[in-house]
Amino acid sequence: MSEGGDELDFSVVDPTLDAGERAAVIALLAECGLDYEENIEALVVCRREGRLVACAGLECNIVKCVATCPDYRGENLSLKVVSEVVALAHERGHTHLFLYTRPENVSVFAGCGFYPLVEAPGYVTVMENTPIGIRSYCNRLKALRKDMPRIGSIVMNANPFTYGHRYLVERAAEACDWLHLFVVAEDVSLISYRDRYALVAEGVKDITNLTLHHGSQYMISRATFSAYFFKEKGIVGDCVSAIDLLLFRNYIAPALGITHRYVGTEPFCATTLKYNEDMKYWLQADVSPAAPVAVVEVERTTATGVPISASEVRRLLRNERFDRIAEIVPPATLDVLLKNYAPMRRRSVELPPGASEAEGWQTLASLPGGSRQ
Amino acid sequence: MNIVRDSIAGTLESNDLLVKVSPAQDEGLELHVNSEVIHQFGAQIEAVVRETLSRLGVTNALVLIEDKGALDCSIRARVQAAVLRASDATGIDWEALS
Repeated sequence: MSEGGDELDFSVVDPTLDAGERAAVIALLAECGLDYEENIEALVVCRREGRLVACAGLECNIVKCVATCPDYRGENLSLKVVSEVVALAHERGHTHLFLYTRPENVSVFAGCGFYPLVEAPGYVTVMENTPIGIRSYCNRLKALRKDMPRIGSIVMNANPFTYGHRYLVERAAEACDWLHLFVVAEDVSLISYRDRYALVAEGVKDITNLTLHHGSQYMISRATFSAYFFKEKGIVGDCVSAIDLLLFRNYIAPALGITHRYVGTEPFCATTLKYNEDMKYWLQADVSPAAPVAVVEVERTTATGVPISASEVRRLLRNERFDRIAEIVPPATLDVLLKNYAPMRRRSVELPPGASEAEGWQTLASLPGGSRQ
Repeated sequence: MNIVRDSIAGTLESNDLLVKVSPAQDEGLELHVNSEVIHQFGAQIEAVVRETLSRLGVTNALVLIEDKGALDCSIRARVQAAVLRASDATGIDWEALS
């Protein structure tokens, strides 16, 4: 042990299991004017003579809640704690990392191998741990660019693909010279990404002026928009959607020459409604050096008088109302729902409308992400 | 030597460097150097990294360097460690590492 008491002791704790460490970290963050973020899976804590002097949190590939005790600044503790959390992330298989910080602290993390991506002005900056991440992504997009006057775009989760999605794509493709359609890639929805993407591909295959894209870390992902996936927590903060929308406006839209973004009106879900409102501001207002992207809201199409929505499909799915689902989704979606999302139902069973096998849904509800968008 | 997975070696401490090696996104070698002393020593750091990669027979890879003023011997050692961790090689040619 060092006589001078300057030994730093790093350890990794699980905040869900270690209430004591969690409380200490919450206190340190409060001292630094930061809030503790839920969903943190691991915390790197740095102690000196038993006292907590620095911490850094990790949620999948996102570094959050990095703080250094004000008494110990100027010793590069943040560099050490970030190095530790980067190594921890790497051990857990996350090599491409994102970091949220206040804009005034960007220089600290620039010294830790992180590069700024986008800033929600005055509130938060998102950085990534590679100098070429967004650049190589945009270079891959540029290869798919169409040089035409009116280039539309849609980003959809399609959880699952309905006639409503089909209607939105048709309207946008009619109105534009070319349409870029992105499927949200983050795999935390009820319907798996593989199934969602395949159903969108099947559902739009006859539309000829369209490019279908896999989503990426840079759009509606855990990294750009974590709160979207935790709708039950209530309204998403302004800055959260600002990050996602400014990434789209500053990088993705210029790479593909996108001039318009299409979205369905939102009669049901408060989070999506707020996202649509934020979209009009962050894509169109004078808040970015990048050209504005015009936002076009398309009135949702209806079936038997009710607007079609994917959340309604999921509700009907929980109640096994395949007869009602068949009215609002294409046959391919219905097939996949029957095959992959009705656990107690054998594939060979013919569909008797209104049949009830409610107990099967206990299994589904317990799946990770089962209750989320 | 084939690069088949992501790896890291080194630290961000003063006089050290962090080396990240990944499979190539496109054919060939893509190298990016960031250094606190990029204006004085950027070309020298890049030359040492390229020579080390060449002796290890690495021709397809993405290599990112975050340098904190490391000496050439440290740069060589960290690049070698990152490449060995990222490669599928079983028999290592220690002569090439000398």
